[in-house]
Order: sequence, then C-alpha cells, then structure tokens
Amino acid sequence: MRFVRFLLKEFVLRGILFTVFGTAALVSLYLLSIGAPAADYAAAARTFWLFISGSPEFGASQVGFSAQAIIASGAAITFPLALGALFFMTLIALTSASASVSARYLSGEHGLKLGSAVSGGLGFLGSFLSATPLFVGFWLLYGLFGMNPPMILIALMTVLVGGAGWDASRFLISDMGGQIDSTHTMVYSMLGPSVGRFFPLPGTMSGYLLHSSAPRFIPYIAGKVPAIIGGITIAEMVFSFPGLGRNLLEALLLRNDEQLIASVFVLLAVNAFVTFLVKTLLFVMYPRWYEKSI
Amino acid sequence: MKNRSSALRLAAAIVLVSPLLFAWLPGLAGRPLFGLPAPYWAGLVKSFRQVSITLAVTLLITAFISVAISYFSILWWAFGKAFRSLLDVIESIPSILIALFCYAPVSVILAKNPQAASATLSLFVFIFAAVLTTLPEAVRGITLPLADLYHRKYSISFRAYGFTKAGILLILMNSRAMRDALKRSCVTILLKTLVLDCSFGFIIQIGMGSYGTPAHTSPGALIAANRDAIFQAIESGGRSPLMFWLPTALLVMASLSFLIVLSSKKEASI
Repeated sequence: MRFVRFLLKEFVLRGILFTVFGTAALVSLYLLSIGAPAADYAAAARTFWLFISGSPEFGASQVGFSAQAIIASGAAITFPLALGALFFMTLIALTSASASVSARYLSGEHGLKLGSAVSGGLGFLGSFLSATPLFVGFWLLYGLFGMNPPMILIALMTVLVGGAGWDASRFLISDMGGQIDSTHTMVYSMLGPSVGRFFPLPGTMSGYLLHSSAPRFIPYIAGKVPAIIGGITIAEMVFSFPGLGRNLLEALLLRNDEQLIASVFVLLAVNAFVTFLVKTLLFVMYPRWYEKSI
Repeated sequence: MKNRSSALRLAAAIVLVSPLLFAWLPGLAGRPLFGLPAPYWAGLVKSFRQVSITLAVTLLITAFISVAISYFSILWWAFGKAFRSLLDVIESIPSILIALFCYAPVSVILAKNPQAASATLSLFVFIFAAVLTTLPEAVRGITLPLADLYHRKYSISFRAYGFTKAGILLILMNSRAMRDALKRSCVTILLKTLVLDCSFGFIIQIGMGSYGTPAHTSPGALIAANRDAIFQAIESGGRSPLMFWLPTALLVMASLSFLIVLSSKKEASI
C-alpha cells in the first residue's frame, strides 16, 4: 500500500502531471505574454497533444528539428549530465563534510588543530569557487578544450563553480556537525572506530554521523535537481550542444511554438525523472523518513 | 573574541560588496580607469548600477512578501499548506527557465518601443522573474524558524497570559532569532538574484549575439560580450583581457560578501 501511494504521489502526481501541466502553464504564459490570439492557444493545445501522443504529424511542417531529436538530446545530453552533476555534488558534500566534522572532533577531543586549519583553508577555496559565476567556469573550460569539453568535466564544473557544491557541503556539514557533541556520538566514538577523515565510510565516526543525516540530505538533493538542470542548460548554451537548453533558446528567439512545447516538456520531464530517482532512493532506504517528509 | 570575528566578517563583507556602491559615485562613468575604452567603462558602471537596482528592488519586494506569507502560513494552517504547494511547483522549475520565459515578451516589445520604455519594462519583468524564483527559499527560511519558535514552550506561556495567536507571532517575529533568520533570507535573496541576473545576461548575450540585451544591462552580458578578450593577444588587435576579468572579479567579490554573511554561525538564542 505504501509503495502504491509512493508511485501515485511521486510518479503520477509529481512526475507525469507536473510535467504535463507545467508545460501547459509555461506555454500558456508565453502565449499570453506575446499577446497571441485565441486561435494560437488552440493550435498550441493541438500541437501539445500530437507531441505527447507520439503522432508523426508533430513537427511535420517544421524543418530542422523533430520530436525524436529533442527527446534524444534530452536523453543523451541533459539527463546524463544531470546525473553526473548530482553524483559530483554528493561526492563533494560527503568528502568535505567528513573532513570538516573529523577535524572538529579531533580538535575538540584530542587537541589536534592541523585538521581544522586545513579544513578552514579548503572551506575558503570552496567559497571562492562558489562565488565564481558558473558561466565564467564554463568559459574557462571552453578555453582549455574548445567547444567539445569532456562531459564529465562539464558535470563537475556545474557543481564545483557557482555554488551548488558549496551549498550541499554547507548543508551536510551543518547537519553532521550538529550531532558531533551529542551523547550517542560520544558513546560511539569511545568504542574506538576510525574517524573517517576523508570519506564517511560505514564503521567510521563520520559514517555514523552520515547515517543520521542521510534522511535529511537525500530530500535536500532532490530539491537541488532544478538548479542542476538550470546549470546544465547554461552549459548547453555556452558550448552550443544540441541539447534542450539550445533548443529552448532557439524556440524562444524564433517563436517556434512546436519546438518550444517539445523542449519545455522534455526539460521538465528530465527534471521530474531525476527528482523521482532521488525520491525513490529515499523511499527505499528510509521509508519512515519519506512518510514524514510528505 | 567572537565580537572581533563578527566585526571582521562584517568589515570584509562591506569591502567586498563595495563595487555595487562605488558604481553610484557621480562622474565615475565618464572617467575610465586601467586604460579601458570609455564606452566599455561607461557600460561597466551602468551594468553595476542596474544590477544594484535589481538587487535592491527584488530584496524589498521578496522580503516583504516572504514575511507576510510566513506570518499568515503559521496563523492559518490551510493558507500555509496552499502556498507551500504553489511554491513547491515554482521551485521545481529551473530559475533560468522562468527568467527566459519572462523575458520572451520583452524581446518582442523591444522591437516596438523606444529604448527607455523597453529598458524600464525589461527591468520590471526581470524583477518579477527574480522575485518568483527567490520566493520559495526565502519563505522557507522564515517560516521554518518561526514555526519552530511558535511550537516551543514560549507560546504556551504567552497563551497563559491571554495573548492571541496573531499577537504571539508578532512578538516572535521581533525576536533576535527571527531577525537573524530574516537577515539570512535577505542575503540568500541577494545572492540568488545576482546569480540569476548575471547568468541570464550571459545567456541572452550569447543567444542573441550583437543584438544581445540592449534593455537588460547586466555584468553577465558584459562578460559575455567580451568573452573572447581572454583568448586574443592585444598586439594582434585584440581587446584587453581586463575587459573580461574586471567584471568577473567584481562579481566574485560581491558574491563572496554574501557568502561570508551566510557562512557565519547561526544565533540560536531568542
């Protein structure tokens, strides 16, 4: 029963319905703002229906794009980049949080100050990278690799520069750091596990702290998916990738309703699907926390 | 020791955010520094003036709406639930997408109206987009600590003295913890607006090329317009790399200033 409720809420309501109504709302807003006549709304609604029903009539009158090409660009570029960026964001947050809380623990309990100094220096570097605009990071990447940088570097740059990685680290450091003085942590640390300075592996103290923080950290990651997708959209425009960002900008500039509908729909679908994957992780690992969060 | 650290942080934050304030010095636009071309310098000053207007107006509007929504969300549970769903939907859409959609009508009107009217309209539209995208986080940043305070034992004591729920919330809104939460929300609004403004300016400049953003002057657009300067040698007729790095450095400074405020430890006491 829980699983059915989860599927209904996350897949049907927040996945399919959000994507369909989100596309309809954004396209309507666009038509309203350009003062389109009533006939254009009807035409857009028909086009939308042709697109979601998979009709071959969709885009038949347009030259230079097809529904399949837009879906493929979402699946081949935007989706893997979003997953890669999420992976790096999680990795950065886990590494920096374990380094920070370990340094704090070693400094407070054992008088070892070196870790705190190193952690502070890395924190400043993180803040500096976070303050650097994302598009400047992408442009420097362009300087190094031209218009075809490795996808993995784009995913890394999306979170390393511009604040996503810093924000995730700050969230996890604050959450894990809040538990370091608690009684259960002190009792656990007296059992003598390794500290886990560089990564919160199971069986280490930082791993123990992460175990308590994970139910809050996973919903946080789900909430950051739109920001990640936004960052990737910027990358696609900077590098002129045939991805959704480029399609969307072209559609807006050329006032191509069909391309606009398809691009917005696929972009929101990728957004909803990545969020669904993260929520599934929360549901499978911490079902009680999932229930609590809704 | 704690006070000295706070004072240092405050001083650093003020120094770093100073480019936004210096842009308003009278006559600065007409006196190019670092040997930069006069039109470029005037554009740089203008872009920082415009971004500071955008930041100030967005902050005022978003903070006012956020405080009102947060207050009424705790006062009337149904109101809070309805707004939470609405803000969740807004937050689920990438900010840059919202800004692009809001800008679409402006690009059409730009062609039909004189530049001054278009610039004003563009500013209003952009502020609307910025308010929309910053609102969910700002409301959350105020509502959560307010709800937390209200559900602590203080409100029970207040109720025992005959205070109404609205009165208790007003008192709690004036507490040190809530003022601190409001300060953080304000800085978050500023940071998000700055990032959105510059990313949006950069994208539109790249997307529209030389027809870039005549109505929306942004440091991001200026960086995009001079992005090739870092790859060209001045000797072979290229522009000065400073035309790329100067606005970038000023933006990094402003963002660092906001991050310094956000990084300070939370004050938990009331």
